[in-house]
Amino acid sequence: MDILIQLIVNGLLLGGAYAIISIGLTLIFGVVRVVNFAHGELLMVAMYGTYLLSNHLGWHPYVSVVPIAIVLFGLGALMQRAIIQPLLEADGHIQIFATVGVSTALMNLALLVFGADVLGTQVELGTSTWLVGPVAIGSGQFYTLLVSILVVLGMHWFLTHTYTGRAFRAVAQNRDAAALMGVNVPFIYILCFALGAAFVGVAGAMLTPQYPVFPTIGTYFVLTAFVIVVLGGMGSLVGAFFGSMLIGLVDSLAGYYIAPDLKEVVYFAIFILILAFRPTGLFGLGRGSE
Amino acid sequence: MQKKFRMGRVALAAALAMTFTAGNAVADIKMGALYPFSGALAQLGDESYRGLELAVEERNAKGGVLGEKIALVKADAVDANQAVGEARRLTSVENVKVVFGTFSSALSYAGSQVTELAGVPFFELGAISDSITDRGYKYVFRSNSTAKNFAYGMVDTITDVVAPELGVDPKTLNVAIIHEDGLYGKTVAQFQQERAKELGLKVVETLPYSAKAVDLSALILRLRGAKVDVVLQTSYQNDTILYFRQAKSAGFKPKAVIGAGGGYSLADTAKALGKDIDGAFNIDFPQFLTNEKGAPGLGAFVEAYKKRYGMEPRSGHSLVNYVGANAFLDIIEEAGSTDADKIRAGVLQYKRPVGSTATGWGFDFAENGQNQAVTTTLMQWQDGKLVTVWPEAAAVAKPIVNK
Repeated sequence: MDILIQLIVNGLLLGGAYAIISIGLTLIFGVVRVVNFAHGELLMVAMYGTYLLSNHLGWHPYVSVVPIAIVLFGLGALMQRAIIQPLLEADGHIQIFATVGVSTALMNLALLVFGADVLGTQVELGTSTWLVGPVAIGSGQFYTLLVSILVVLGMHWFLTHTYTGRAFRAVAQNRDAAALMGVNVPFIYILCFALGAAFVGVAGAMLTPQYPVFPTIGTYFVLTAFVIVVLGGMGSLVGAFFGSMLIGLVDSLAGYYIAPDLKEVVYFAIFILILAFRPTGLFGLGRGSE
Repeated sequence: MQKKFRMGRVALAAALAMTFTAGNAVADIKMGALYPFSGALAQLGDESYRGLELAVEERNAKGGVLGEKIALVKADAVDANQAVGEARRLTSVENVKVVFGTFSSALSYAGSQVTELAGVPFFELGAISDSITDRGYKYVFRSNSTAKNFAYGMVDTITDVVAPELGVDPKTLNVAIIHEDGLYGKTVAQFQQERAKELGLKVVETLPYSAKAVDLSALILRLRGAKVDVVLQTSYQNDTILYFRQAKSAGFKPKAVIGAGGGYSLADTAKALGKDIDGAFNIDFPQFLTNEKGAPGLGAFVEAYKKRYGMEPRSGHSLVNYVGANAFLDIIEEAGSTDADKIRAGVLQYKRPVGSTATGWGFDFAENGQNQAVTTTLMQWQDGKLVTVWPEAAAVAKPIVNK
């Protein structure tokens, strides 16, 4: 019984890490309607940034959350304005090529600048383990889960209680109608992409105490993040959060009860089953919507 | 008028003669270097290549090989597909005489298929999967130890070092084998199981996992549940770091953890883990804190490396590539030609005793091209340094086991 509780706790904590990454991705999917294959590399950039701030200025990664989020916000806005914007009228796969191009360019730029070395950040806060009865909880993972919940709640409030938030939802529903209603669609796109990138920036800073950084680290998280976003429903924040928890739990339980190398088989199988019955994902708008 | 013409013709002949000789002086022997210079394996690939580069530069400073300078042609192979493509480029476009490589078994397996078809000798200096030399190929040769040596070395450590230090019968210890699920991990794990069965050891769990995993907590819980005393891990860098961090988090501290090269031999892994890596054993290619009595030339190599690259060697891979490359360059010199069959004959004839090279290896190649006179040493991370602890002749420190 102890082991089951530990496994569930581990699963939820892992879900927290995936959650912050997936929230940014689902926002970009839902509003801008672009498959951002460079999402993992934005995470990598955030982690390298946090590593640099930690190494050269001695800032703890949790302190770097704000500056890194701002830097990534700028990067996301730049990417949308310079790369995606000119291609919005083109076919979907052209935009995919563009984001894949950004992904490859960033990975190799990192390889050029930092080399292939695995760079770890040693800190005290965020690497300890708390013992609550028989259950061990990683402090870093707990903080990440906490931040992911705050981000989801904050974003949800933004979307429902502010004018700009309503504009986001309008653009997500029907971009032409939103434009007719007076929404500045290109500006909303830039803001949305930037916000999605900023969330990944937060994720990068929160994950730095737990994972070392190297040029290809984005690829370790991004595939699962895509699965989570589609599983939860593209554009749905609650869906992304719930999907992350589900995948985290399955990862943990399947890894123990079945085998560590078969856990992906299990969650992809669940993914396929859910899509067979609800093609738009768990919290998507049901059959018939996009 | 006649005189002028004759002078003209003489001058023309002289000019032609000069270009001929100038041409010959510039004609180097091209040798391919197939390594992962980018991608996930880039660091170890680059480190391995440095050993080859040092050997070639030293050789060129002494006049090269067969009277000509060696020109290394670099080829970057991130995965098996690229290895095939780049091997084709080396053999058909660059027309290299021989190919050196590769550090990674998957790359070696793929690239050597191309060179065998092209009849170009392939010298493997660092990849360990036994299957590379088990295909009945004529022109694939390997200087380093194989997965079988590593695996047997790891299991033997339990009976030769861990059990005696604990004062128990090795058959009472619970052993777990965990490995990354690629060619490297699977090959080593297979041999470990073979050897463990031979020695009558209890393997309670065998758990493969993806080297790209971001979470190993479930695996560690299983090890803890099975009351594992000794963990044998075959892993790359990221999964090694993940395992140690999460094992510490879960409070899982077995009596011994033994790795087989990969992530366990890198200074970077130690830097990322800090004190958490102390106590980890590593069966590996010989590293630098070894008694030089068993490894002549080790000190000179380290000095040469520091002078050339301005830093300490990042792992033992450069050393291993250096020793292997030197042996193969000797063989080409002794064979007197770069003809593939003459090189093969030269390889099979080349013999050196154990303890005569900077890695402590000897050379004695079998029919399949594999060097039989290799050794693996047991090292342990102590105070952030990788020190040799077994066999005693090469040891610079004593092994420490968690009692």
